[in-house]
Amino acid sequence: MKHKGKKIDILYDVVDARYSSEEEQKAEASLLMEARKKRIANRSQSDIFKARLMQLKLQMEEFLNTPAYDKKHYFTSFLETYIDTLYDKRSAFADDIGITPVSLSQVLNNHREPKEEFMLKLMVHSERAFKSLGNFHKKMWYQVYFQEKINETIANQEKWRPEVEKKVKFISLI
Amino acid sequence: MSVLEVSTGQRYHIKVIKVEAADFKVISNKRYFFNWNEEKAYEIVKLTLVDNKDILGLMSFEYIDTEKRIHVRLLAVSKENVGKNKVYDDIVGNLLTFAAKKAVLKYAEWACISLRPKTELVQHYIDKYKMNITGMTLSLEVPEILELINNYDHEA
Repeated sequence: MKHKGKKIDILYDVVDARYSSEEEQKAEASLLMEARKKRIANRSQSDIFKARLMQLKLQMEEFLNTPAYDKKHYFTSFLETYIDTLYDKRSAFADDIGITPVSLSQVLNNHREPKEEFMLKLMVHSERAFKSLGNFHKKMWYQVYFQEKINETIANQEKWRPEVEKKVKFISLI
Repeated sequence: MSVLEVSTGQRYHIKVIKVEAADFKVISNKRYFFNWNEEKAYEIVKLTLVDNKDILGLMSFEYIDTEKRIHVRLLAVSKENVGKNKVYDDIVGNLLTFAAKKAVLKYAEWACISLRPKTELVQHYIDKYKMNITGMTLSLEVPEILELINNYDHEA
């Protein structure tokens, strides 16, 4: 770029993107929303699935990065979102991973812990579902499941500790 | 997420986290181009190497929930990371990716990040990040916003 006869670098990595006035912001926002609506109308179902799966992945990462026990069943909540994003009927997911709809329902309703085989099938299923999005770590479902268990166990110590303390013997060596 | 050390070709893990009150003591106009104190009403994040506190880049942004978008207000790398002799590359890409992840987390298929740069920067952002232009505003939406996340959000 020439500036008063002197060649200067454009600072591509320094951007002041603030609007100069509220009027300009409103006008630009209105134009942008119209343009976005047109683009969204032409968006493929595949892109919508990808966006929802990416949202789910980011929600799981956020849970793992800021673990706190609030009695919510995160694992099954994420699992419900996963299934409902990809399938019209949950029974179709159950069929795809070779379990009965009743077993799946029991897991989703927290009436049964997922078996190891279920977790392994979920891992493989997710690898395929997230393939085009990349970087969905194999460990993710396990991490969410066990993080929830850890949070729950630590938060509920007053419930289980008195009985367990009675059953543990240890003579101090120090 | 990582940045590239231009002189060695080595990549280094980075983190992007919220600016803390103490950071404003070291965030000068001279090194970071803007008066960042003026942005305190908005979200401000800093990019550093994982094992070094030195701030390599800053970004302020706002959530516009009614339009399901995040508008980037200010974006800057530190002075030694601009131009041809920059120390680290990919700082801006990582900061935009941070905003993109926040937008997808909140708005899913409606996710959108926007910025309104000076005219001479517009083509660069269209070419490098596949942004759309509407009026004077650049935006990144699905599916390009997902591509940006996939390109930058991985292990070094």
